[in-house]
Amino acid sequence: MSTVQIRDARKFYGAHPVLHGVDIDIADGEFVILVGPSGCGKSTLLRMVAGLESITGGTISIDGRVVNGLEPKDRDIAMVFQNYALYPQMTVAQNMGFALELAGTAKDEIKRKVDYAAGILGLEPLLQRKPAQLSGGQRQRVAMGRAIVRDPKVFLFDEPLSNLDAKLRVKMRAEIKALHQRLKTTIVYVTHDQIEAMTMADKIVVMQGGQIEQIGTPLDLYDHPKNMFVAGFLGSPAMNFLEGVVVGHEDSACLDLGDAGRVPLAGRVRQAAGKRVIVGIRPEAIAIADTGGIPAEVLVVEPTGSETHLAVRLGGQEIVVVLRSRVSLAAGERVCLSLETASFHVFDSDTGERLQDG
Amino acid sequence: MTMTSASIHDNALEKPKRDWVLVALWATLALIALIWVAPFVFIVFTSLKSNAAVMSSSAFAPPVDPKFANYSGAWDRGRFNTTFFNSVIITAIKVPLGLFISAMAAYALAKITFTGRKMLLLAILFGTMIPFQVMLAPLFTLVNSLHLIDTYPGVILPYLAFGIPYQVFILQSFFRGIPKELSEAARIDGASHFVIFRRIFLPVSLPVLAALLILDFVSTWNEFAMALVLLQDRDMWTLPLGLSAFQGQFSRDYGQLNAAIVMTVLPAAIVYLIFQRYFVSGLTSGAVKG
Repeated sequence: MSTVQIRDARKFYGAHPVLHGVDIDIADGEFVILVGPSGCGKSTLLRMVAGLESITGGTISIDGRVVNGLEPKDRDIAMVFQNYALYPQMTVAQNMGFALELAGTAKDEIKRKVDYAAGILGLEPLLQRKPAQLSGGQRQRVAMGRAIVRDPKVFLFDEPLSNLDAKLRVKMRAEIKALHQRLKTTIVYVTHDQIEAMTMADKIVVMQGGQIEQIGTPLDLYDHPKNMFVAGFLGSPAMNFLEGVVVGHEDSACLDLGDAGRVPLAGRVRQAAGKRVIVGIRPEAIAIADTGGIPAEVLVVEPTGSETHLAVRLGGQEIVVVLRSRVSLAAGERVCLSLETASFHVFDSDTGERLQDG
Repeated sequence: MTMTSASIHDNALEKPKRDWVLVALWATLALIALIWVAPFVFIVFTSLKSNAAVMSSSAFAPPVDPKFANYSGAWDRGRFNTTFFNSVIITAIKVPLGLFISAMAAYALAKITFTGRKMLLLAILFGTMIPFQVMLAPLFTLVNSLHLIDTYPGVILPYLAFGIPYQVFILQSFFRGIPKELSEAARIDGASHFVIFRRIFLPVSLPVLAALLILDFVSTWNEFAMALVLLQDRDMWTLPLGLSAFQGQFSRDYGQLNAAIVMTVLPAAIVYLIFQRYFVSGLTSGAVKG
């Protein structure tokens, strides 16, 4: 059992608030990712769990025990830092065994645990090397090994993949996920990369401005974002937002996009006619229509091989379309688009909050 | 346009152009090195000449008949048995102790948050701004009132007091540059501040500690004014004070004087040669991505 409970956690730097009362429940063995833009307070929250930052208000409990006043070493956690933080003068084996050495563990026991962790991470041939003799990916693995050796209740990861190149990042992403499936230890992971969050997490916590915007499973957040921030933050390319006015009622309701014409909103919104709303449409929910559809002008064509990204101008607004098929289009051409009405997300244009049910 | 394989080959064999800026830099460097080494050559050559030879030959002429007796003569006349021993005792205690105290103070000032930290740092920095010459008279009164004149502590303690602020200043700014994640990782691993200091910071700081050790050794070994005031008994004199024995009003023995200078300078040169290998950059490379 290793749960983490965060209750009304607040953090002030002097008079400047960084976290405005955050509540998160993390179940045993859960892989939770805190995601959000720079300065949203996610790293601060993680460091508060680790004991590296003081807690101004609220409580943080690990396994039912409030840890607010405990030193980092007494919280039974292990942390992997963005810049690895390996001890430069020690070998890989010494780095991994340092915590056990300080705890007074017997030498053969340290060796056994270091060898076990090295085995999991494929570090056996590197055990006698110094950090300077390792590549970025290897250093990252040593940092994880240092965490595994301690067999903690909770692993904390602070943007561990940010310093790796794109290809290595994908590889390490899979390794961390495989590691979690193998060890089944509770993980709290901080990243600003929504793809990392979507691909690895059991549960995502989206944060902005020191507050939680939404908590849920990756697909739940993707399909049912609570507001425009969450909708725009998750997904790549990002969700398109079209501003328009609701016309008609209930089943006959339409969204008037101005020059671009009208799109049916049948059953999607229960707003009075005349209300200004913003409709969010995922790039993959738009297709090129064979007949009919809304006319648009192609601005940029970006083929990625597996799919094609189109930037188009629809009415006065620019949106992105992702097509699974290959198309022969050029900038300046006109196309007709069909929008998948069922996957519309309707938001209040004033508050940015989601409007429709479901 | 096409290029034949032969022409490509010719191009590859062409000598790179001589970089005249580089040549000029090397020439300047050699000249400066020559200027710096000249006094040393002068001292070594003179230390092996008799007084007559000093007067009759050029300063930079090598000794024709090396007079090694100058060294044994200087050793006796300067009472090097006593002064060398005193200098070794004072330097061997002061330098490592001062560095250790400075490093601990610098660690606390750089890495431990406590109220009044900035004020404390300022107070210590203030110590670097007062020239010790101004303090000589009050220093004498103070040491005298503690009955420490002509004792090792009587000179080691003031040396520490005047040496530490400068070292703290250098070390704390170096420690500040060490990524905070290193000490945070160690804290999570269960290390106390002292363990972090000893096991993480000291090894990482070897180059700067070596540099400070060399500088401090040389300045302590050669210190004259404070020793002159605080050590009045000839049996407590240090090497630089011993050298003054060669400066009689009517007697000048340049051979012996220079032999004494060589013997005084030699330990500092040896310490430099031993520790200069720690002047390697990038000792922290690999600790964090950078």
